[in-house]
Amino acid sequence: MTAAISRLPAAIAIAALCASPALAQRGRGAGGDANTAAAAAKPTPRAPDGHPDLSGVWGGAAETVKAIDPGQSTRILFPVRTGPDDKRIFDEMDRAAKERQAAEPNKPPYKPELLGKVQLLSDKRQFNDPSFYCKPLGVPRIGPPNQIVQAPTLVVLLYQGRNTFRTVPTDDRAHNPDADWTWNGDSVGRWDGDTLVIDTTKLVDESWLGADGWFHSNKAHVVERLTRKGDALTWAATVEDPVVFTKTWEMTPRTLRLNPNPKVLLEEDPPCLEQDGPHIVTDDHH
Amino acid sequence: MKQISWVGALAMALLGAAAPALAHHSLQSEYDINQSITLKGTVTKVDWVNPHVYVYLDVKDDKGSVTKWAVTTLPPGNLRRGGLTRDLLGYGETVSILAFRARDGANLAFLRTITFADGHKLEIWLGDASKENP
Repeated sequence: MTAAISRLPAAIAIAALCASPALAQRGRGAGGDANTAAAAAKPTPRAPDGHPDLSGVWGGAAETVKAIDPGQSTRILFPVRTGPDDKRIFDEMDRAAKERQAAEPNKPPYKPELLGKVQLLSDKRQFNDPSFYCKPLGVPRIGPPNQIVQAPTLVVLLYQGRNTFRTVPTDDRAHNPDADWTWNGDSVGRWDGDTLVIDTTKLVDESWLGADGWFHSNKAHVVERLTRKGDALTWAATVEDPVVFTKTWEMTPRTLRLNPNPKVLLEEDPPCLEQDGPHIVTDDHH
Repeated sequence: MKQISWVGALAMALLGAAAPALAHHSLQSEYDINQSITLKGTVTKVDWVNPHVYVYLDVKDDKGSVTKWAVTTLPPGNLRRGGLTRDLLGYGETVSILAFRARDGANLAFLRTITFADGHKLEIWLGDASKENP
């Protein structure tokens, strides 16, 4: 890539890669790469109560991005594999995304009579996906946290996207029977050996489980499992939804490495203001 | 033209930030890549927001009448990882913008290049970094 950049005649090329947590983690699997294995081989720090200390910023190797100098010509490329015809680049983005989705082996186990609804929502996702219109991703679509702050009876999960937080009590309390339905639900945590288990109910049925029209009911029950081994954190989640699923859906686990910069801070995510919806004129979608 | 080195864009991306860019709508559904347009005008506002940054432009014709345009681009997280900040998008300046028009005929377009009065350019585009885009 560096060589390619040096060929650019006038501008400086900077490939600004995708900001999506989901995409950024794609292909990294459940700790399969060598760097993750090396991170997992390190000692696991423990809190004074003996549980693994999950605290830290998880994911990637953040570096401070220096602002370019005013007056400096710059090229920023959002990476898309293109053919020789630049005129097809918008098409190409959709096609590549659809191929990835079609190849996704782990789809939720919807009841057969609901598959038509899933397809319809998927086909019209540009008008239906709540996240398109600045609503929260919600649990579990939001995925693993970007940062964890662990206290003796409380774990705080921080997500940079849309400046989201979750507070998960670990003091053996039960679910709040009076909790209202929300996007991140009512969560309680407990330790199962060295794994933090987060049990979440009361999720609004407005959120989706994925961009492919994966809706759920307000009876969804999500169990997340966070396991730290060395400097690697694995997030696994299951979704039970007796209204829409034939069985429990086990989501594909993701493993993140501890951010190597101990001083790194999550950045504030700018506000979300959707302005494109009224101008969408076709059903083309990713 | 001052050269800068490659920045750790991938590493920053792995941290996970901003709105999920590819989870947002298809560009094909909103913009026509066969309708390129060059807009010359004054930047009146920069909306540094998810899911897409917007630049607003007053375009004056030969008779002095002003037409307002909106030009959108990548999410702010992508621009930030590319080294841009909101103050570099030309607020208050007279610029020339190459963009692709919205299919619905609105005064809306998807940005490709901003050329500033001093000649420097910001190209914010999509493509394969292993080859130069035409």
